Amino acid sequence: MGDFFNLIGENMQTFWGYTGFANATPGHLIMIVVGLLFIYLAIAKEFEPMLLIPIGFGILIGNIPFNMEAGLKVGIYEEGSVLNILYQGVTSGWYPPLIFLGIGAMTDFSALISNPKLMLIGAAAQFGIFGAYMIALAMGFEPNQAGAIGIIGGADGPTAIFLSSKLAPNLMGAIAVSAYSYMALVPVIQPPIMRLLTTKKERVMRMRPPRAVSHTEKVIFPIVGLLLTCFLVPSGLPLLGMLFFGNLLKESGVTRRLAETARGPLIDTITILLGVTVGASTQASEFLTFNSVKIFALGALSFVIATASGVIFVKIFNLFLKKDNRINPLIGNAGVSAVPDSARISQILGLEYDPTNYLLMHAMGPNVAGVIGSAVAAGILLGFLM
Amino acid sequence: MNTRKLGVLFTLLVAFASGMFAQSATSLKINEVLITNQSNYQDDYGVHSAWIEIFNTSYASVDLKGCFLTNERNNPTKYPIPKADVLTLIKPRQHALFWADGMPERGTFHVNFTFDPTVDNYIALYDSNGKTLIDEVTIPANTLQADQSYARVTDGHGDWEVRGVNGKFVTPSTNNVTIDKNEKIERFKEHDSNGVGMSITAMSVVFLGLFVLFIAFKLVGNAAMSMMRRKAMKASGVTSLSEAKDKGLGKTSGEVYAAISMALHEMQNDVHDVEETVLTISKVKRTYSPWSSKIYTLRETPHRK
Repeated sequence: MGDFFNLIGENMQTFWGYTGFANATPGHLIMIVVGLLFIYLAIAKEFEPMLLIPIGFGILIGNIPFNMEAGLKVGIYEEGSVLNILYQGVTSGWYPPLIFLGIGAMTDFSALISNPKLMLIGAAAQFGIFGAYMIALAMGFEPNQAGAIGIIGGADGPTAIFLSSKLAPNLMGAIAVSAYSYMALVPVIQPPIMRLLTTKKERVMRMRPPRAVSHTEKVIFPIVGLLLTCFLVPSGLPLLGMLFFGNLLKESGVTRRLAETARGPLIDTITILLGVTVGASTQASEFLTFNSVKIFALGALSFVIATASGVIFVKIFNLFLKKDNRINPLIGNAGVSAVPDSARISQILGLEYDPTNYLLMHAMGPNVAGVIGSAVAAGILLGFLM
Repeated sequence: MNTRKLGVLFTLLVAFASGMFAQSATSLKINEVLITNQSNYQDDYGVHSAWIEIFNTSYASVDLKGCFLTNERNNPTKYPIPKADVLTLIKPRQHALFWADGMPERGTFHVNFTFDPTVDNYIALYDSNGKTLIDEVTIPANTLQADQSYARVTDGHGDWEVRGVNGKFVTPSTNNVTIDKNEKIERFKEHDSNGVGMSITAMSVVFLGLFVLFIAFKLVGNAAMSMMRRKAMKASGVTSLSEAKDKGLGKTSGEVYAAISMALHEMQNDVHDVEETVLTISKVKRTYSPWSSKIYTLRETPHRK
């Protein structure tokens, strides 16, 4: 009888050894709090809920403590586990191009086509990437790591994940979470910089309404866009190819079902998988390092530099434009991509100073140009550093 | 399907097939050869034989099956590489090693010829059609001493050199150049430690890319506006270009079209501010459906006969 109770006791002890309570560390608890914060921000403040809910919950999933030596195949870094299989879309880099396919199928490039000079703002805002790259090098990161960190300034989550999975896979969790966090915090980061760098007169500047864009132009755009950008930077092909392909599905007018799938069920599915696995990849043992703190600081800096360079570029650009063609510097921030949030910031700030000055459509131009610009920049970094 | 469509389809098929061909065995290269093996690499029988190393230069797996190795110019199909061996699949940037021992009965990787160090040794790799030459090399007579190899300076590319002398190692089934660091990154670390060079280069390319797009769409936009103006001139009966420019024909903003479309949509869909439908909590009559019928979902009571 005594042996029987001993057996029960040993079983209970073994069971206790497998529980999360027995394996919890302060790191797990910190990450769970971070996950809860993301979920709170998404629900209560509505900061990018489509991203922060999957990532936040993914952080909870990834930080449930378990006995890592038991070989339970439950952790995201344990080969053969379900989470590990889903995570392969991130590590091998095929989730981001599929997201870009959906983005292409839902993006209207009319604003950009009607006023193509706005493309240059999308290029200027990429200074954020290379500003952060230089600072990261100064902080002691290797060039490939610095490139992966710098791409946070492109304000494009899929691009950041794609590039970091190639250049610095060990930093990908921190880079992805940082990129998505700052994208969600665009309404907090950008307005003070925009106010600081513009005068009241500039903020109420009105822009000429965009002209109507023909169907032919819309069809030509993805084809010419792909050929020109990818001939220049072939390493950007996975992202740019899918972006322009998605856009052609939308604009051709004859592949409506495919376009709807790409911008609907497909992108939703991939967003769920991407968000939850990126969140789960922040397992405390891998994520809570001093490097992650540095990456978060660099991410914030890159957003600041990108926003400032977009606004300053517009101000300089205006010096060379005729008076009736001038651009409101409040749309300069939209060059950082973060579609469509940064364009919405331009609109909100513009309306704050002139309730009849609608900047949204104008801001969408640099906004989508920023997506192309950051994909091109990622392609360049990949070509140079891989 | 008419002849024209068939022609287009055929052209596309040919282009596709040639593209597939370009991705296959043509990316293989003879990479290193050892003629006299005294104390070098042993085969799986423990024998020191001459060997030929083949390198896959591509970033995709390539299968050697069905290809031919030969040491005679006029006999390209001398040794057919067997088709049923999974080991003939060479992974990206990897090697396959063949033993030139004249004993093909010892396995896939033992060819049916040998080398003679006193004469020129010709080695060629042919594609599975037995006609397309993939790569060839001739090792001049008496160039190599025992245990020396004739190898490419860089894997799959470039000139040939003698190895096994002057501190250059013979590398069977291994890269001729050992890769222990990323040269690109090392170069950046050495010459651009603060990242200014990279930033200037990359930003120039980003600007160039988007500037080229800007120019392209400026031209496309001008052409589109000119077409719109011509259509507007035709519709309004204006023939003079200057008059059309004065009236701003074809320059109508997208907002005007949006307003017109909205008005048409409202009219066609009978959209109005006050809706005619009534909100009610009264029970709605449900129509009969066999899916909700109990009769169809119950088992029939067994009949006693």
